[in-house]
Amino acid sequence: MALRHWALYFRYAVGNISSNRLIHAISTGTITISLLLFGAFVLFFVNINDWVLEWGQTLTMSVYLKDDIDQQEKQGIETTLGRITGAEISSFVSKEKALLDLKETLGPQGRFLEGLNENPLPASFEVVFKNISWGSLNPKKIKEDLEKLNGVDEVQYSEQWLERFEGFVYLLRLVGLIIGGLLCIAVLFIITNTIRLTIYSRRDEIEIYKLVGATDWFVKAPFLIEGAIQGIVGALAALGILFLMYSLLSLKTIHIFGLPLMRVVFLPEGHTVFILSLGLVLGLMGSFIAIGRFFRFFYD
Amino acid sequence: MALKDINLRIRRGDFVFVTGPSGAGKTTLLRLMFGAEQPTEGQILVDGINLNRIGRLKLDLLRRRIGFVFQDFKLLNRKTVFQNVALASQVIGERSAITKKKTHQILRAVGLSTKEQAYPLQVSGGEQQRVAIARAMINNPLILFADEPTGNLDPEITREIMVLFRTINLRGTTVVIATHSRDLLENTDQRVVVLNQGMIIQ
Repeated sequence: MALRHWALYFRYAVGNISSNRLIHAISTGTITISLLLFGAFVLFFVNINDWVLEWGQTLTMSVYLKDDIDQQEKQGIETTLGRITGAEISSFVSKEKALLDLKETLGPQGRFLEGLNENPLPASFEVVFKNISWGSLNPKKIKEDLEKLNGVDEVQYSEQWLERFEGFVYLLRLVGLIIGGLLCIAVLFIITNTIRLTIYSRRDEIEIYKLVGATDWFVKAPFLIEGAIQGIVGALAALGILFLMYSLLSLKTIHIFGLPLMRVVFLPEGHTVFILSLGLVLGLMGSFIAIGRFFRFFYD
Repeated sequence: MALKDINLRIRRGDFVFVTGPSGAGKTTLLRLMFGAEQPTEGQILVDGINLNRIGRLKLDLLRRRIGFVFQDFKLLNRKTVFQNVALASQVIGERSAITKKKTHQILRAVGLSTKEQAYPLQVSGGEQQRVAIARAMINNPLILFADEPTGNLDPEITREIMVLFRTINLRGTTVVIATHSRDLLENTDQRVVVLNQGMIIQ
């Protein structure tokens, strides 16, 4: 189709928006509110995911070493730890350091440790898991494998907490997908019906177009462009309001049970583009469905 | 049933009045010839094209060669006089410059060159009908259908509009006017088709 036709459709669409300002404002407002709800949910989900992952990254595993370990065995353990995806040795705690740390932790009550003839604490590697994909991590197997190595006495991690954490992340994703999907359907339903109202309010106009020989496409194209414009403007407005809300919120530190939570983050670039695209697609789809339904009614 | 046993042939370049009392089937006959309705029986051929077998797209294309004028003008009140007329040219994909030129010319021909930027509700009933005629004529149609085109107009404006239709007919366009007005038919030398209760009686 020639570019001049598109230019004409675009002019018609802009002209229609300008001459039906109120109904388009209502339509765009509906899209804004719908996408704001959706965006707020995504923002909430992004932050929860971010916080959970940050908490997850503080998860450590302690690999306790036997007292009679030699240098070669120690190096072997270090190499093995280095090969585990996402695992990073944060520190090596020698027997002496372990005792010192314990004394410090116990404070005045730690004096009884001075009477010991021998240091009973083992040396250990402290391991931190970073950038892990929780689905692929099998801490139980890592523990078993490490304990088979020469020189390793015991491996400890918070097994139950980790399992719950994994379950929580999965649940969060599932709930996110379900709510996100339902919100998308609801938004599409609202947009379709709002645009349908716009189209029905202009059915006399469409009738005149058809009387002078306009093809269905000639009538549909400006409506599709209007839908796309409404979708993008609605999405931009929703993102703007969301950013304003985020700015107000991020000025304060959120506390839960008296503990300061991690920072509040805004939607990453990818999510922002996704919401913009969603606005565009929903606006287009809403118009497409609404005008299709209108034409079925029109020809009946 | 609005119409029955209709056998009517209108030749190219004819000027025909379709008349009869209210409910005689005048509007239905015009709508059938325009393809806005389908007959339950029989065939309608326009310029050799059978309207019973025509698809939606082909009907749209055929309508570009047919002009239609209504009693209630059917103008877009949010568009100017110029935009209302230009619409029919834009619909056929005409280039912007040609559309502008044609619109200026046709509006001059119907005596509305000074009202181009006015909106329909800012001009008189007679002027609105001339806008509708200009819109119907901008693509040089083969046929012009007019359904009670002077129904809302006073006698003087009616005469002006009828002069316009005759001029259009003299330029080669077939003109079919549905009317129940006896005044229009007095002293006419044009063909008159009289309908009553859905049948042609004369």
